[in-house]
Amino acid sequence: MRRYLASLAVAALLLGGCNGAAAEDPAAGNSAPVQGGKLTWAIETEPITFNPHQYAQAKARLLVWNSFEALLTHDDKGGYLPWLATAWEASADGLTYTFKLREGVTFHDGEKFDAAAVKANLDQLLVAGYNPGVASTQLKNFKDAEVVDPKTIAVHLKQPDVLILDFFASPQGAQVSPKSLKSPDLKAGGPSVVGTGPFILDRYTKGQEVHYKRNPAYAWAPSNAGHQGPAYLDEITYRFLKESSVRVGALTSGQVDVIEGVPATEQELVRSDPNLTFAKQLNSGTAYNLYFNQTHAPFDDIRVRKAFRDAVDVDAVLQGVYRGTATRAWSILSPSSPFYEASVEKTYGNNPAEANKLLDEAGWSAKDSEGFRSRDGKRLTARIVLSAPFVRDKRDILAQAVQAAVKQTAGIDLQVKVVDQGTAADALAKGEFEVFDNSRADTEAGAALGLIVPKGAPINRHGFSDPELEKLIVEAQATSDPARRKAAYSTIQKVYTDQAVLLPLYAPADQVAAQKKVGGVGFEPTAGVPGSAYTVWIGK
Amino acid sequence: MLKPILRRLGSGAVVLWAAASAAYLALRLAPGDTVDTLVGDGPDTPQIRAQIARDLGLDRPAVVQYVDYLWRLLHGDFGRSYVLQRPVVDIIGSQVWPTVKLTLLATAFSAVIAVGLAIVTAGRARWLRGLVSGIELSIVSAPGFLIGILLLSVFSFQLGWFPVSGDRDASALVLPAVALALPIGGLLSQVIREGLERALDEPFAVTARARGLTRSALLWRHALRHALLPAVTLAGTLIGFLLSAAVIVERVFGRPGLGEVATEAVNNKDIPVVLAVVMLAAAIYVVLSTLADLAYLLIDPRLRKG
Repeated sequence: MRRYLASLAVAALLLGGCNGAAAEDPAAGNSAPVQGGKLTWAIETEPITFNPHQYAQAKARLLVWNSFEALLTHDDKGGYLPWLATAWEASADGLTYTFKLREGVTFHDGEKFDAAAVKANLDQLLVAGYNPGVASTQLKNFKDAEVVDPKTIAVHLKQPDVLILDFFASPQGAQVSPKSLKSPDLKAGGPSVVGTGPFILDRYTKGQEVHYKRNPAYAWAPSNAGHQGPAYLDEITYRFLKESSVRVGALTSGQVDVIEGVPATEQELVRSDPNLTFAKQLNSGTAYNLYFNQTHAPFDDIRVRKAFRDAVDVDAVLQGVYRGTATRAWSILSPSSPFYEASVEKTYGNNPAEANKLLDEAGWSAKDSEGFRSRDGKRLTARIVLSAPFVRDKRDILAQAVQAAVKQTAGIDLQVKVVDQGTAADALAKGEFEVFDNSRADTEAGAALGLIVPKGAPINRHGFSDPELEKLIVEAQATSDPARRKAAYSTIQKVYTDQAVLLPLYAPADQVAAQKKVGGVGFEPTAGVPGSAYTVWIGK
Repeated sequence: MLKPILRRLGSGAVVLWAAASAAYLALRLAPGDTVDTLVGDGPDTPQIRAQIARDLGLDRPAVVQYVDYLWRLLHGDFGRSYVLQRPVVDIIGSQVWPTVKLTLLATAFSAVIAVGLAIVTAGRARWLRGLVSGIELSIVSAPGFLIGILLLSVFSFQLGWFPVSGDRDASALVLPAVALALPIGGLLSQVIREGLERALDEPFAVTARARGLTRSALLWRHALRHALLPAVTLAGTLIGFLLSAAVIVERVFGRPGLGEVATEAVNNKDIPVVLAVVMLAAAIYVVLSTLADLAYLLIDPRLRKG
């Protein structure tokens, strides 16, 4: 969200970057956008569903806004811009949000976009079994929607909730044609489930590719989109290439025009290729963090948590695993968040002497035959369980590097277990772990913290809770005053650092690389994931 | 005549039922569940989980679910995928042909590789056999992933002869089929060469040569028949290998296909899809093992009398 370096239009059209050293402008050297042409883009993740209401994979977000649109969109400063809604206002009590809708918008199937369509979408989301996740979190304070007139819809809430705006800018809040809502393939999405976006999904070959063609009638891009009117490209094919080395090879050999997801080991190769452009952007949400399970020994003792944190030289570990391509994280939130609290930086870490002192004090002073610390004959052991299907960014290797670091500097036995999804879920359910890893890609930091901080929240697996912090979470969700929200989230970050609840490692990022002739490949403001193909064009 | 056919059909049905039940049981016993996948990156609470489970009918007792599956299978209803939310028949239907094409061509390639290499090297100089056999062994033991990447690097990324991915035209099929065929061809070639050499040592070989038969006629007409029997038996059991190797090949080459569908369904515990794939594989297995039995008769006249 904090893309101070980039102006609105530039952020969308080119590549805004909060990491100036890493972001390069892929459109540099290109002339004006060219109309027409076909483009092939190799992506890592094949979506489980093409219905935006069912969206659950951050890596599939770059497809959503090609064919679907929401009432609002994120700007690059943590605020919102009009999209399918031209204006909105909240009532004084924060219980009613009234949206004025754009006129002349039609869905790909010819249906008119109006207040009744918005209401139909909201009603659909509350149908039992359709998407319980959205119904019970993003829409948990939603009461009902009222069609005031065809151009005006009023959304009533049960209690004030500023995060509702984030919902109306999210994929789950995207507008699906009322006719499509009756499709038998509604949950799966595809050619029969349509939106209002600049591209029309016309072909999907499972396991291979999804194809879009331009929507010639399109004329309602948001103001930060970089241009207006129909998209530049006639057609775009997203090909699913799960292996990163194959994606890079396909790009360097000119078989695809753009790729997403460039692993650290290949970034040097891509950057040094004069025919290619490369850019990366930090994602929104939380950093990739290791949380300590405080519900049992040894991390129920803050000295052991601090010792673990001090035992790791995070910079050296990241350098070793990612060759200098990773951005270090210091707080629970990603440094790209507008709520990021920079004052916690450099307040801990890489202090083996302190780590060993703390462990001695905590009673883990004996050393066993293998050099690990122990207390009362029990080794200082911590287990981390990684679910193999969800390991990305070489997080398994990263865990092993941390394992080596804590062993060497402090004699802590970190056991890294890479297992199948079922076994991982089982271990988490039974509490058979001392460290768990997580990163969240929510566009709204408050939504992520709401899942992590309160006692018993879905990802509060670390067991730390504090009534004061829970009050802050609730207050921050109810107030529309950015300063008060920032203060609340700052306090949470400071307390989490003081209490050594976690060890933040790096800020997740997305990368795109493209042929020189391709222009306009960018990142979505706030989310920090690759943007849609609306701004992309291909030179001759 | 009717009785053996009925017996064959009956045993086929039992195999199908056993395969479906074993797959169902294995999935039930493995830890974790479908709901994990559906929750994905999204919010996760007990209420959400309960809602999803109710929606899919996963809250019913396991036995009820099992009987329900069997009952619907009997009616040809494979149900809908939990995760992909599409009818299973559509998913399998769209993915069968790319995999069939791939495996058929790979089978043809591996037969050519196996028979060709074996014929060329059997009974030849020690160093030649050693060299070829060494290469075969390295290919057989190399991870399929590595073979695929190597082939791609050379023939697609460097030379640009073949496209990298997808199921489009014939040229896109060549590299994946070769990647799949190399290990199988290497393995079968070892078996056939050994069979050939054993046959060449038999007295009938000496007799045939003494009567003026050329070396190649002896190899092709006589020795090969002897050598093919164990190879055909082995080939029958390689179907499972083909499917699991196809998983990797399809993934590396970005091809649609059953392999990827099957792995993801197993990972996600998408039971309707897993069961359908298992039934399909079992059906193919039954058909092919019948064909292998017939092939014995064709290859070895001695078996025809029995």
